[in-house]
Amino acid sequence: MAREFTSSRGEPEVPSNTITYFFREALRRIWVSKRTSFVAVAMIAMSLFILGAFMLVAENLQRAVTRWQGRSRVNVFFENDATPDQIRNVDVYLASHPDLKTRHFVTPAQALAQFKRDFANLSDVVNQLDQNPFPASFEVDVTRGAINPAKFEREIAELRATSGVEQVQYDWEWVKRLERIIDVVNLAGLIAGGILALAAAFTIANVIRLTMMMYREEIEIMRLVGATERIIRGPFLFEGIVQGTVGGVCAVALLFGVFELARRALAPSSSMLWGFLFITFLPWQKIAALIAGGMLAGWLGSWLSVRERVIEEA
Amino acid sequence: MIHFYHVTKKFDRYSTALHDVTFQVEKGEFVFLTGASGAGKSTLLKLILRQIRPTEGQIVVNGRNLHSMRRKQIPFFRREIGMVFQDFKLIERMTVFENLSFILTVLNVPPREHKKKAYQALRAVGLHHKLTAYPPQLSGGEQQRVAIARALINDPLVLVADEPTGNLDPDLSSEIVQIFSEANLRGSTVLLATHDRDLIRSSGRRVITLEKGRLVEEKMHTVERSARGESLFGIGSA
Repeated sequence: MAREFTSSRGEPEVPSNTITYFFREALRRIWVSKRTSFVAVAMIAMSLFILGAFMLVAENLQRAVTRWQGRSRVNVFFENDATPDQIRNVDVYLASHPDLKTRHFVTPAQALAQFKRDFANLSDVVNQLDQNPFPASFEVDVTRGAINPAKFEREIAELRATSGVEQVQYDWEWVKRLERIIDVVNLAGLIAGGILALAAAFTIANVIRLTMMMYREEIEIMRLVGATERIIRGPFLFEGIVQGTVGGVCAVALLFGVFELARRALAPSSSMLWGFLFITFLPWQKIAALIAGGMLAGWLGSWLSVRERVIEEA
Repeated sequence: MIHFYHVTKKFDRYSTALHDVTFQVEKGEFVFLTGASGAGKSTLLKLILRQIRPTEGQIVVNGRNLHSMRRKQIPFFRREIGMVFQDFKLIERMTVFENLSFILTVLNVPPREHKKKAYQALRAVGLHHKLTAYPPQLSGGEQQRVAIARALINDPLVLVADEPTGNLDPDLSSEIVQIFSEANLRGSTVLLATHDRDLIRSSGRRVITLEKGRLVEEKMHTVERSARGESLFGIGSA
């Protein structure tokens, strides 16, 4: 007996078993168009790699800043011929100011030892000197957020004017500069990565467009036998999403590889300049965001293509 | 089941594919649609499948007015119609089974039932041993039978065929028409477009004739017997 259809309203537009069909078809189509799919994946991977590299640098800079922000340091360097009384006066001044009282006196010998530890490759140079070039100093730990900046600047000025004091250094200016650099790095990463991701999305759109051209007859047959637009478009959307996701995973893998290589290459020299940029890899949230970005770019690309197709058919 | 009311289809100002065509095909009927090449048969079938819209007039299929049908409803409407195309329209990269399985996916049939249903549909057309073959590996007649199996797999309310015997020899043609007759006996309304006069003469079915886009004749043919005194279809009219 012929099947009676009374209404299409109660019928689901996407049957439950079609997700498997979408996925299987998407993988098959990617395999059939290996070369073009490879180009799309490579484009996504490269753009996300660049974005990820910016994110990695910004992440490590941010960590450094956070660490410095949490426990900023003021160094009070004495003249080489500073007397014990002059040093005691400074000690008393620091002790009487709550912002500055967490202090630690560093003798010239201790400063030399610290330098040799931090810059092992330069220790030979220091050994050749007749006398210890490092002055005595106070290392004062301050909590940046807990003090009044104007009052602090006044105290630093008073310290600088104290007899026996050669120089007063504090790292806030560096921190401020680094924060600005981080903003620039983040912005540059977003702009470069965004533009490249958009370019990658358009590459995927073109790949999907080509695939749709290849399957034009098949699509026509599918329409004639009652396939909904969603069933027809599903595999193409999945194709873009799969390409984007693979691109994202490749970008993370590549980034991790480069990060590990850089860290190993820089570790022996313990470079203070570059070493701090390669302390930690991206946290899992940012890794997930990168992969999700790939997925999104892939989806966007394929959506642009199938949308065009639908408009064309309308 | 199929109602055409004063349907006209113009593709441009100078060519009218169908002109003021009015006819009805009742539920359970088996009707032939005939006419010379260019008479408008294919246009008429495209209108039934809502591939194109009429310039004027109304078409109602299975109670649905195709003129007012929304785009989103078209796929669901097409699932009620089994369509057999002259050029088969099989997906060449898919096996015979996959071609049928795709329709079942569209129809939301659970995958575990696909093999059984595909096998049954192919057995009805005598091709159950060709499940794993690809369309290009089959002869024209075999491909046409696969297309018929695909059209019949869901026991459609309406079965529409466009020159299904166009490229086949007479024996195979009558065999294919017999498959349509059996579907008709199971309850499907059949509209079969052909220009094969012999096939029509021996059918004993109602015939709608088109000429240059106009419906010129609508009549019932008496069954012509073969030399052995048998109907070419072996099955009486519905």
